[in-house]
Amino acid sequence: MKLAMIYSFLKNDLAVIEKAVNETIQSDNMVLREASSQLLQAGGKRIRPVFVLLGGKFGDYNIERMKAVAVSLELIHTASLVHDDVIDEAELRRGEPTIKARWDNRIAMYTGDYIFARSLENLSALENPRAHQILAGTMVELCLGEIEQIRDKYNTEQDIRTYLRRIKRKTALLIAASCRLGAIAANVDPVHERALYQYGYYVGMSYQIIDDVLDFTASEKELGKPAGSDLLQGNITLPVLFSMEDPGFKSHLESVFQRKEDLHTDELAPLIKTVQSNGSIEKSLDISDRYLQKAYQSLAKLPANRAKQTLKGIAKYIGKRRA
Amino acid sequence: MIKLNSSENEIKQLKRKIASKVRHPYLVRFIPEPTIDEDKLVILSSIMNHTNLSEVKKEQYVITTMLVQIALDTHDLVTLTDEEDDRDIIRHRQLTVLAGDYYSGLYYYLLSQLDDIPMIHTLAGAIKEINELKMGLYYKDVESFQEFLDGLKKIESLLIQRVATYVQKTAINDMAGEWLLAKKLLEEKRSYQAGKFSPLIDALIKRPALLGNSGQILGNIEQTLQSHVHRLETTVTQLPVHFNWLKSYMHAAIHHQFNHRKIAEEG
Repeated sequence: MKLAMIYSFLKNDLAVIEKAVNETIQSDNMVLREASSQLLQAGGKRIRPVFVLLGGKFGDYNIERMKAVAVSLELIHTASLVHDDVIDEAELRRGEPTIKARWDNRIAMYTGDYIFARSLENLSALENPRAHQILAGTMVELCLGEIEQIRDKYNTEQDIRTYLRRIKRKTALLIAASCRLGAIAANVDPVHERALYQYGYYVGMSYQIIDDVLDFTASEKELGKPAGSDLLQGNITLPVLFSMEDPGFKSHLESVFQRKEDLHTDELAPLIKTVQSNGSIEKSLDISDRYLQKAYQSLAKLPANRAKQTLKGIAKYIGKRRA
Repeated sequence: MIKLNSSENEIKQLKRKIASKVRHPYLVRFIPEPTIDEDKLVILSSIMNHTNLSEVKKEQYVITTMLVQIALDTHDLVTLTDEEDDRDIIRHRQLTVLAGDYYSGLYYYLLSQLDDIPMIHTLAGAIKEINELKMGLYYKDVESFQEFLDGLKKIESLLIQRVATYVQKTAINDMAGEWLLAKKLLEEKRSYQAGKFSPLIDALIKRPALLGNSGQILGNIEQTLQSHVHRLETTVTQLPVHFNWLKSYMHAAIHHQFNHRKIAEEG
């Protein structure tokens, strides 16, 4: 089943959000308008707005209030992608040239900052200080997570805790905040709001671990990049951390990383093969599954409704994701 | 809490507080600590000094506005990709992107702790407009040098002017615009003459129809600066009497930046 099918009952509301997202980034400046629209038109799962709307379904759901939050979260995510493409020197995103590739880094910086500003302007329609505190805290953590990712590149002395903290900041907190902000916008009971936040956090952790596993297990066609690309860039993810428990693997990796200036895919090929076959993938998937189980446990605290079923369906989908 | 009465010592304390907010143990190892524009800091604290806001708000408004300025300035430093870039250059660029994002996040975080949604909105609106103006200035065909200067003046002063409007203290908006434009022109000219990258002069060189070749551009900037200094001195003199400290600061700054420069260049 496709992910969009799981939340198909939100179709009309998501169309409202989609329209509002596009309207929010309409600038008088043509290049800025074109650059901002490009990413949004290329599609995307809109998973953050989905979590916002589902969070709101446990309270006083009002599409206008939900819209302010959902649009802002999608825009914050979009702004971070524009800047990420500068950081990663990415040429393509969702099959289209990135903003930095089509124009240049400076345009990408201005576009990202513009989208970020529009997101905050838009969210200020929601006069709830706690919502802003949560989102602001999340954004700072998101940046710290990305800085940590650069700091930890090629560092074979990091441990699983470092990795988990990094993916929490990088991925899980924004998904958790999406669920929580949706709940806040709909005045959801605090106990349920907390359960939604925990659900988002656990699902986010599971999602990122699977993403990191897929970098080793999915085909180049499925990934849109060669297998092991994370490792080639020096990113040490969970399967590699498990593999490094073998001193032989660790010392081999360290010797390869010493030549990081001109590291080639061929040199990493034996290491990637080892990661694929030494049980690290299974161990990583097991950790991912433990997070998913916690996500289900959080859901158990919520009243039964269609949104709960949908959140369960999304968690299940994430757990089975293999591409 | 610093009591803001714009004395030099208090400006120093504010500067220290801002510096401690933006300091990050990893960033500081690989990218320069951000420059805190002291003139903008003085102008902002002078504005806040004439409001009835609480001391906490005055200080937080100065700090968060400066964080926004630092974030915008930091992103201006992101270099263009070159195939020859080595790993250090790439890491420097990556961290510059993230540092700017981090400083923006901090402004939002600090104001959210004060529950100040209207100020969040004001600063976000200014960030939006400034980025639109930057796109216009660097990537749109401006028709004249005057149009170019008008855009530059707005980019330099819009943030402070929006904050001044928000706290309903707009008396120094004109002076701020003139001063910040003159300062920017001077900085860019110096940077270009020192063989460093100057985004402004680079943009002008790409549009020879506006000011001709690089020699003519520098000559025209010099002329513009001279006429600006005169206008600026008049604007400073006309500041309301309760801005006396700012007046003295500005007179000293104009003398230091421009008269010294003349002597140096003539000598």
